[in-house]
Amino acid sequence: MTDPAAEKLAQLLARTALADRAAFAQLYEATKAKLFGVSLRIVRERPLAEEVLQDSFINIWNHAADYAVAKSAPLTWMTAIVRNRSLDIVRRSREEPDIDEALTNALADESAAPAREAQDRGEAHSIRDCLAELEGDQRQTIALAFYHGLSHSELAGHLRRPIGTVKTHIRRGLLRIKDCLARMGVTA
Amino acid sequence: MKLSVNAAQQLAAAYALGTLRGPARRRFERMAREDETLRKLVDRWQVELATLADNVPAVDPPERVWREIEGRISPARPDRSSFWRAFGLVAGGLATVLLAFFVWISSGPRGEPLFVAVLTAQDSGPRVVVSMHEPDLMTVKLVKPWANTEGKSLELWVLPTEGAPRSLGLVSNAGGETLIRIRSSDARMQGATALAVSLEPAGGSPTRAPTGPVLCSGAIAPVRRT
Repeated sequence: MTDPAAEKLAQLLARTALADRAAFAQLYEATKAKLFGVSLRIVRERPLAEEVLQDSFINIWNHAADYAVAKSAPLTWMTAIVRNRSLDIVRRSREEPDIDEALTNALADESAAPAREAQDRGEAHSIRDCLAELEGDQRQTIALAFYHGLSHSELAGHLRRPIGTVKTHIRRGLLRIKDCLARMGVTA
Repeated sequence: MKLSVNAAQQLAAAYALGTLRGPARRRFERMAREDETLRKLVDRWQVELATLADNVPAVDPPERVWREIEGRISPARPDRSSFWRAFGLVAGGLATVLLAFFVWISSGPRGEPLFVAVLTAQDSGPRVVVSMHEPDLMTVKLVKPWANTEGKSLELWVLPTEGAPRSLGLVSNAGGETLIRIRSSDARMQGATALAVSLEPAGGSPTRAPTGPVLCSGAIAPVRRT
């Protein structure tokens, strides 16, 4: 982790682990917009996304010490917490999914242009490279599931495919990503 | 139930992606809580997938979210500003006088300390008093040892104004005093504003940052200048 911004967040997390409220407040300021955006994509309603953000930061406050043993960039660790909470909450209320096609396509079409932020973080963009290797259908299905938290049946509805096909795309896609990551030496 | 390697991989990936839903998601979470291998698989997938979130546009949440969070992490604390600052300003003056006295009467006439810090636990008041009477010796005195710390170590941390906490070493939980040989000019003490004790695996934190729960913490109150 050589990026100064990530280094700063890691320090704030370490202080948060010692119940330093000022550090926790700075951590929130530095990451709230990014994390709120991630949650809003999945839960889609602002009140729900606000609830997710609250719960996630309580979780981060209580478990900041766990970060020290995680081997990832701080924002990555926090994003995983927010996505997880979003997925917990989203199953309570879901109407017609409202899909941001541009975002999904950005990932689905993406082959050679990893997001700048990941580059700046000095983090391996291996998963992007691996996604680029997938067939179009697999890639699109996985992107929709990731960004919008769609379930199998919602994916089937949106893509107008049988649910079995959707499941197969996801299963095979994830399997190929895993093999690809292993090939790149990411997953031991 | 023990999963095959393939099934574990697939479930972990589907969980992290979010397509594992409903009762199956809950069931998988219960299994992962008891299975470290499974938990590691999930972590790895979550970390890998989370890097994709870079593409998601940032959206500013409303102010009230932070107010709620603050309220939930300290329902009892009336002062909502920074804990360390609040502690320093509100309690600092009075506490310094009281604590200097407390340290003085409890440690014999060794003269005024350079600084004292009283570390309080969230629910049970003062637990540790740290003081420095000589420019190269820190005294850590437990007010009351902690129960149920077998196989664990207590580690003392210093929090500077900026940057990560720095370890000052382990503290004995056997009661009495732990003496830490450190100069007040030591780099770890520069800009120090507070001290905290965390519960770590035996021998101390395996990383260079605190990994366990914080047992007590408190601001450093300077008594005399060097």
